[in-house]
Amino acid sequence: MAPRVIVVTSGKGGVGKTTATANIAAALAILGNKVVAIDGDVGLRNLDVVMGLENRIVYTLVDALEGHCRLNQALIKDKRVENLFMIPTAQSKTKDAVTYDQMVHVCSELRKEFDFVLIDSPAGIEAGFRNAAAGVDEALVITTPEVSAVRDADRIIGLLESMEKSPIFLIVNRIRPHMVKKGDMLDVADVLDILQIALIGMVPDDENVVKSANEGRPLTLSDDSQAGVAFRNIAARMTGGDIPFMNLDIPRKGLLARIKDAFAGGR
Amino acid sequence: MIKLKGMPGSIVRCIIPEDMPAADFKSEFDKVRKHGGPILNGARIVLDFGARAISEATVPALIEEFVWPSGASVAAWITYDAVSQKLLKRAGLYTSEPAPAEESPCGTLVLHQSLRSGQRVEHRGDVIITGHVNDGAEVLASGNITILGRLNGLVHAGCEGKGDNTDAIVVARCMEALQVRIGSKIGSLGRDAEWWGRRVIVSVRDGGVLIEYWPLVKGENSAAAGAAKEETA
Repeated sequence: MAPRVIVVTSGKGGVGKTTATANIAAALAILGNKVVAIDGDVGLRNLDVVMGLENRIVYTLVDALEGHCRLNQALIKDKRVENLFMIPTAQSKTKDAVTYDQMVHVCSELRKEFDFVLIDSPAGIEAGFRNAAAGVDEALVITTPEVSAVRDADRIIGLLESMEKSPIFLIVNRIRPHMVKKGDMLDVADVLDILQIALIGMVPDDENVVKSANEGRPLTLSDDSQAGVAFRNIAARMTGGDIPFMNLDIPRKGLLARIKDAFAGGR
Repeated sequence: MIKLKGMPGSIVRCIIPEDMPAADFKSEFDKVRKHGGPILNGARIVLDFGARAISEATVPALIEEFVWPSGASVAAWITYDAVSQKLLKRAGLYTSEPAPAEESPCGTLVLHQSLRSGQRVEHRGDVIITGHVNDGAEVLASGNITILGRLNGLVHAGCEGKGDNTDAIVVARCMEALQVRIGSKIGSLGRDAEWWGRRVIVSVRDGGVLIEYWPLVKGENSAAAGAAKEETA
């Protein structure tokens, strides 16, 4: 299989890019792929915490780019899963510490060694995002079922298309089936109608996500929570698995009950 | 492959496909120059990049490697990417469709795609879009605008010319925009308006912005029609 270099992005902040990166990276590694997750958010690093590797950082991506170490010295090996690595970024620098060409170079180097390179992009559409997307072929766009997040995802998809990234897949995160049912939240079909790109995963809103991020233990490593399963399914689909989408609907009334309701409403 | 297409007013349109890798620019433009030499020499050309973003490096490279050697002069650089439009404008380059010798419109621009947030289309003439106009996208036309998909973004019909072009209309198959502009008039709409999500035709009548169901049905519509809240731009 040719190595795949993928940016995880969203436009809007706080929709779950870092959580998705950590969980999908871990799930891909469990499936037997050699995976590296790169924190592309220079100056606001988080991926190390979510993956539980913050105490093992010696060198960062910026150190490697500035020539203070070799790139593979900045690689941290996850001891819980075979073949899972991450490259942290610098917290004490800003986005200007990395250039477009440097990111292209880093991606081409990592391509030689890994099956999957996942880059966690910063929010926004400025240089930070452009650098994170510089050396990648594909993109995973994360959105939540909120109008503002969808609009930003639409903007970022337009930019990714103009940067000739392909394929671009969509993950709809933090779905609350009860709110969707009441009409208080967009449903996935609405989001797809607006964004018009292929869906690769639907992740329900799940308290376990917050817990696992605080504990630094990606859900996909062990947990059987709904979100963990959803992220594992995404990883399986990314590697060609034909996994049906989870049923996030709350139980529906039977046909008879619905007909009765319709008649009651018509009176 | 880059295509050349004749346009009214002896303008040659040079269409650069969106899916063509930027790395192929040089070789593809060289091919166009080789095969289209006599057509290009002395011609006014429109470089049409579609929704593609144009980088700072592309502009000087194209001028040097294609525009100068071909003998053509560029009448417009067309891209729907708003950032690129700004970049081109800063360099003093034209980014809207060129006016033919006489002040007539350029005909109808038909776009078989959806416009995403941040994308912008400017056209002298009428515009028909077969896809959606998403929230955050903009369409400006000197003539009428028809959206066959859902309208969430901003449209401005009759947006240029001397005085107001308040004869222009906007037709949308699914109206979900909070604002529509025609000439110097702005109509605003609430999500609870009865036209929300419906097929509508928007026009200016008696100085006010009027929304009616489409297709127009005599009697019924005039009763249902009402003015959107209006302001003057």
